[in-house]
Amino acid sequence: MKISNLKKNYEKFSLNIDSLSIDEGKIYGIIGPNGCGKTTAMKLIAGIEKPDSGQIDYEGLTERDMTMVLRKPYLLNDTVIRNLVYPLKLRNIKPDDGLVNHFLEITGLTNLRDEYAHGLSGGEQQKLALARALIFSPKVIFIDEGFSNMDIESVAFFENYILEMQSKKPMTWVIISHQLSNIRRLCEHVFFMHNGEVRASGSTGSLLSDPRDEKLKQYLQYA
Amino acid sequence: MFELLDREILGIITLTLRMTLLSTVISTILGVPLGLWLDHAQFRGKHIVVLINRTLMASPPVVIGLVVYLLLMRNGPFGFMGLLFTLEAMIIAQVLLLTPIICGIVYTASERNSSHIRTFAKTMGASKFQTQVLLIKELSNEIYFSIITGFGRAMSEVGAIMIVGGNIRHHTRVMTTTISLLRNRGEINQAIFLGIILMLIAFAVQLIAGFLRKRERRINENF
Amino acid sequence: MKRNFASILAVFLILSITLAFTVGCDDSNETGTIVLATTTSTYDSRLLDFLLPVFTEETGWDVQVISVGTGAAMQLGRDGEADVLLVHAREAEDQFVADGYAERRYDVMYNDFVIVGPYHGAISHNDDIEQTFRDILDQELLFISRGDDSGTHMRELQIWDALGLTPEGNPNYLESGQGMGATLGMAAEMNAFTLSDRATWLAYPNVMDLIIVCEGNPRLLNPYGLLVVSTTLEPTGAQAFVDWMISPATQALIATFGVEDFGQPLFFPEA
Repeated sequence: MKISNLKKNYEKFSLNIDSLSIDEGKIYGIIGPNGCGKTTAMKLIAGIEKPDSGQIDYEGLTERDMTMVLRKPYLLNDTVIRNLVYPLKLRNIKPDDGLVNHFLEITGLTNLRDEYAHGLSGGEQQKLALARALIFSPKVIFIDEGFSNMDIESVAFFENYILEMQSKKPMTWVIISHQLSNIRRLCEHVFFMHNGEVRASGSTGSLLSDPRDEKLKQYLQYA
Repeated sequence: MFELLDREILGIITLTLRMTLLSTVISTILGVPLGLWLDHAQFRGKHIVVLINRTLMASPPVVIGLVVYLLLMRNGPFGFMGLLFTLEAMIIAQVLLLTPIICGIVYTASERNSSHIRTFAKTMGASKFQTQVLLIKELSNEIYFSIITGFGRAMSEVGAIMIVGGNIRHHTRVMTTTISLLRNRGEINQAIFLGIILMLIAFAVQLIAGFLRKRERRINENF
Repeated sequence: MKRNFASILAVFLILSITLAFTVGCDDSNETGTIVLATTTSTYDSRLLDFLLPVFTEETGWDVQVISVGTGAAMQLGRDGEADVLLVHAREAEDQFVADGYAERRYDVMYNDFVIVGPYHGAISHNDDIEQTFRDILDQELLFISRGDDSGTHMRELQIWDALGLTPEGNPNYLESGQGMGATLGMAAEMNAFTLSDRATWLAYPNVMDLIIVCEGNPRLLNPYGLLVVSTTLEPTGAQAFVDWMISPATQALIATFGVEDFGQPLFFPEA
């Protein structure tokens, strides 16, 4: 995926991404202070919002190949199980029992499968949203702070799960997180955003251990 | 008092139900898409349209009755259709009363939730049609409420249908106009008796609607 | 300066409130408000709008008018909700007195009923009520009955009954269940015949398509009666209203009502 000269203006804020490329099968991280435009950038790249100008070359990917887990996940006014299989239904795929049970199991929602999703806790809702995004095996998955409400054990579990999946059947991941431990464990490449721009980018190890950018240094100070 | 439950009263009840159900169905078919469209559409003067809608929600039935009367009277623009003092005229008046109510409730609900639902639909890669289906499903509680509200209004209305229907015995006499007539005759007991029947019918309709709704949910459970 | 103005305003306010109360108190010591339940024709024809301000000015009594059908007006009397009744259903009025709800009935005025129908209708102007009603039935002409237990409705039923005819069940015999004005409007819209009191007929606009097809028959005479309800809490006011209505001056006033607008009186004095 190649992004060039992406622009989006709001009343009090404007986003400018000169050039950025996301390669297939890798895990990317986006970090940066609140209000720096991470979520906006992600929505533009994921094709959920339209930029004012600029190009994104999806290199053959369509909307149906990508998905995004929103920061505040939207759950259908329906049961857990029907939330989980919703993307399959959209694609006219008959849900496979084994697959469904697998995802219920890893999210710990097996016993809650017929409960209304709105009754779930914040962490459970995030797990369900994550499972729902994964169940149709998208080629690209965007996650906007998808672990923020989960307990430590669950976070660790999903980190391991993602890495294991990645070793078997690689997908492209773009993850926004404020927990640098997430980023360090998962991401190969990191973008640091500040004030609507990508200020620094590079491989996770080098960027986080040897920050050259002043703003990134400040940001990491408190992390 | 029970001699009132004769064939004439049964005819009045049947006519009332026919008028109310038909008005509600037509108003739903018009009002729900209109409310959804009004929320999604962007055009100049939209706030004025919304304001007009809000005003029409509170339009006095007598005024609507008079307007429809003027339109349908022999020397009026639609006089050639010969609809005045018929069931059709009463339904036209009621549709004019109900549609803004249903449209307004759906619009308000949609305005609050539809952007989240649309964003979510995009993250799932839903098509335009699938997005519409999702919207209606997710707003179904509010849509249901709007229909029930409209139905209640249709059932209880008397001012407009008295004017355009003429309260003609065996033709356009419904429960509310009968009650009004009984009051004019000073037969308060019978008026109260009919009023209680009207309330019981309203109660029964709510029960049936609630039951159907539950059943519909249960059927959908088998994804 | 500002303060002065404010205090003047306050004094003025207090004065006017006091004044209002004194006037109000004085008023209620001698007179008050009576409730008049009446048939729609006296109200729809604006006769009461014409008479009542004069009555209030001369006597100080206020009158609240409840305009309903004669049947409902008499029910209001039986329930003690009205002090005076002005109605037109002679038999029912006599029964009202016989049942003890009023001491006596006062003649006050009369007018007549007319049968109106479409201009190009099958019936030409006549004074034969029997033939007119028979023609309406036999030729299956559309007829709208009030069907609301009003004085006019009762009269219509009496006429059918006296002629030995039964209109009920005839597909062209409709019942509107509404007041005289609304029923006249419907008759005009539907090209139908109906029985109306002359006052409402003359005073009601937008019925140009209708004409009188039958009038001047003794069966169509329409006397109005006044009844003071026995249980009234304002016997003085109620009696004052009756006395005023049947006084020569008021009777003369009634005879002038409508002459200017319609070229003929709507009601004729009978007291």
